[in-house]
Amino acid sequence: MKNLPLLFGLTVALNAYQAAAKEQLTLLTAYPEDVVSRYEIAFEHAYPDIDLAVLWRMPHDALPYLRQPQQGGVDVYWSAALPNFIALKQQGAWQKLGIDRQGLADHIGAMPLSDPDGFFCATEMAGYGFTLNPAYLQQHGLPQPKTWQDLADARYQGHLAQPVPSKVGFAPMMIDSVLQQYGWEQGWAILAGIVANARPVDSGATFITDIIASGERGIGPGIDFFTASAIANGAALQFVYPEPAAYSSAQIAITAASRHAEAARRFAAFVLSEAGQKLLFHPDIRKLPVRPSMYAHKPDDYYDPFAASSRHPVVYDPGRTLSRLALNNALFDRLFTDHHQRLQSLWQKLRALEAHADAGKAERLATIRGLLTAVPIDAEEAQSASLQQTFAVRAADAKAEADAQALEQAWHREIDSRYSEAESLLKQQES
Amino acid sequence: MQRSLITLLALSGAMAGVQETQAASSFEIADATREAYSRINTDAASAQLSDAFRGRSLFRQSWVVPPAKDIDIAGLGPIYNQLSCASCHPKNGRGQPPKNPLQAMRSMLVRLSLPGQDAHGGPLPHPVYGNQLNEQGIPGVPGEGSVSVEYREFPVTLPEGEAIKLRRPQYRFAELHYGPLNAGIQFSPRVGPPVFGLGLLEAVPEQTLLQLAEQGRQQGVSGRPNVVWDAEKQRPAIGRFGLKANVATLRQQITGAFIGDMGITSALHPEENCTAAQIACRQSPSARQPELSNAQLDAMLLYLRLLQVPARRNGDDPIVRQGEQTFTAIGCAACHVPVLKTGDFSPLPALSGQTLHPYSDLLLHDMGDDLADHRPDFQADGREWRTPPLWGIGLIERINEHSYFLHDGRARNLTEAVLWHGGEALPARQRFAALSADKCRALMRFLESL
Repeated sequence: MKNLPLLFGLTVALNAYQAAAKEQLTLLTAYPEDVVSRYEIAFEHAYPDIDLAVLWRMPHDALPYLRQPQQGGVDVYWSAALPNFIALKQQGAWQKLGIDRQGLADHIGAMPLSDPDGFFCATEMAGYGFTLNPAYLQQHGLPQPKTWQDLADARYQGHLAQPVPSKVGFAPMMIDSVLQQYGWEQGWAILAGIVANARPVDSGATFITDIIASGERGIGPGIDFFTASAIANGAALQFVYPEPAAYSSAQIAITAASRHAEAARRFAAFVLSEAGQKLLFHPDIRKLPVRPSMYAHKPDDYYDPFAASSRHPVVYDPGRTLSRLALNNALFDRLFTDHHQRLQSLWQKLRALEAHADAGKAERLATIRGLLTAVPIDAEEAQSASLQQTFAVRAADAKAEADAQALEQAWHREIDSRYSEAESLLKQQES
Repeated sequence: MQRSLITLLALSGAMAGVQETQAASSFEIADATREAYSRINTDAASAQLSDAFRGRSLFRQSWVVPPAKDIDIAGLGPIYNQLSCASCHPKNGRGQPPKNPLQAMRSMLVRLSLPGQDAHGGPLPHPVYGNQLNEQGIPGVPGEGSVSVEYREFPVTLPEGEAIKLRRPQYRFAELHYGPLNAGIQFSPRVGPPVFGLGLLEAVPEQTLLQLAEQGRQQGVSGRPNVVWDAEKQRPAIGRFGLKANVATLRQQITGAFIGDMGITSALHPEENCTAAQIACRQSPSARQPELSNAQLDAMLLYLRLLQVPARRNGDDPIVRQGEQTFTAIGCAACHVPVLKTGDFSPLPALSGQTLHPYSDLLLHDMGDDLADHRPDFQADGREWRTPPLWGIGLIERINEHSYFLHDGRARNLTEAVLWHGGEALPARQRFAALSADKCRALMRFLESL
């Protein structure tokens, strides 16, 4: 009973109060809480009359959600999922963004930052590169790698942690950037050398940072913001962007079915505004703004992709080869993931022989290297739309899955045969 | 015997004893970075490290509205407060209250109940709104309503003439979708507390808490353990988690938060959090049964148990030492007990025999009318709160980018937090208010060293 007199001391209204009606805006995103909460708070401050409701879905789960009737009630889609934005554009899922783009970059080097038809645009970028543990490199007497080719060097054997693209979300485009930049055959050869040096990592990207920060390995190919954020929070790490660097961008679009298009437009414009872009600098976010003027106010040691591209123009255009990502992933697994230990042993032997090869042996060792770096399909076959489609839709299409499996079995036989031949030739060289 | 001695030394404020027992625990880590609340004890994790990392991912995971392809992370709602654990416990630290009435509660919630008790002696849920206002609903299911907070300032003048303004929160419920709240409603706003060091707290033996209560009585402090319902063992048990020590085990604390804050079912809470009156909520599909699998729950439990505590900093600084002595001298250490020791803890043996510095006795104390929420919770009455651990408090501003303290975040800094103390803490508060400026500064330096 002693509580009763004060029971209502903390409140002024329990039921009679009707808050001023807010317009409800529904955002679908795959950004983590660290990002979303900061944009929610800042947007609420700028537009207190709009109530932002957030739904979360990974890109593969967002696509069917946005294909529902009325697009699931979503007004704004904001995610690093370029394939979704392109696929849904083709299905008429977006309305024109219709926001002022003054001061925003339309491209960085060869990479577009806005849809030419104005249905979506990039809101931020993230760069691919190498997470380094400087103390580890010093301890092992290793130089800092500067290019993807460097990572394939024998001196890095056992020192890398390499994400498996079929398992780790950011890795398919990272792998593809190597293939685009170096070309199909040379790109796969470089990847083979990198895998030979690495332990595979098949879970989330933060695990790469964990592995490198713990000193279990010294170098981890990955995406910049996990590492940049870890560094900003005190981790003794470093991130190196190869030159030219490659980037992935996040996009924003307004659904065609949106009943809150003006509020949606305000949100998109806010994300792209100076206030919105500045949030990307936060130590827990560390993404790269697409508004170049922001870099005049960047924190110390923050990477400026526009300045970097003026020195080494970006050549990677993700949109050009998005349709082959699933095919790439399947090839990566059949070439490398299925044979990881076997490959490491083969490469170790090959490199040991190469280190002391005379001119006579070099040609035979080059043959072995060719067997370990060859890819079952050539660049032209990889461009086949039907082949790409088979792998892209296999999870949802039984026939495609059967076709994909048949192809993979054929590749497996071919790859196994090559590796067996390499084993045999290596034995001959060793004896 | 040793345990009792340590406790006694701490309670009696014997600083020499405290210093001696501040040997580094393997669960204390010298880290003052923004990741200091997020360090896993990797040595203790051993072969389970990947499970602990999985638990970490789950803690940070934003959950998905069912149905969904990602079945492992589907199950949000139908009604809920936030999408992820990290929303209310950012970087494993403290949430914060809204700054003004226009801001939504993003790392804070409001518990609800009616006068009376449930079948096990816990709070009696509101028949329509349940025991917590879930402000959000999945598409097609209305959220329960919203709460805004406004602050009224009032001045407090300290003996040396310094004027300080405290702010008293006033809450306003609005947009109540399921009808008005009863006039007798009891509500309790809560900011998300830090989640590191919970494994250590779980491993403190019940006997220690009972001894602390007894020894406190001898000092004129009326701390007592909350006796709550242990839903796993189906019997009463001493509570130690939650702001009113209203939960017995960390497993129950986790599953309670999953269902209460995010609407995610688990083995301990197999039903969705919809009341009979919430028709759309009841008709919404669940993702699976349970939505949080036992393996996921185990991973989360392991992660939280393995989280280390930032070690004290600047312990040799004379001002910090002076502040520490003042902390004890004015009576803070009677409840904010500096040193405890864990017992044998079979679920994770690495937690056994650890010396910890929580600055808490995990007991309930009468904090006076000003801090009362008037919402009893098991044996905790409306004026009682569990002594919150102070470890890591000096890093809140760096890690969580604010300095709001107390259960509802009304205190804007540590000085305000101390000045809100009442009830059995009133004498300590009065002694604090009477401190010279130098001693007060030293006390704050000490708290900032934690």
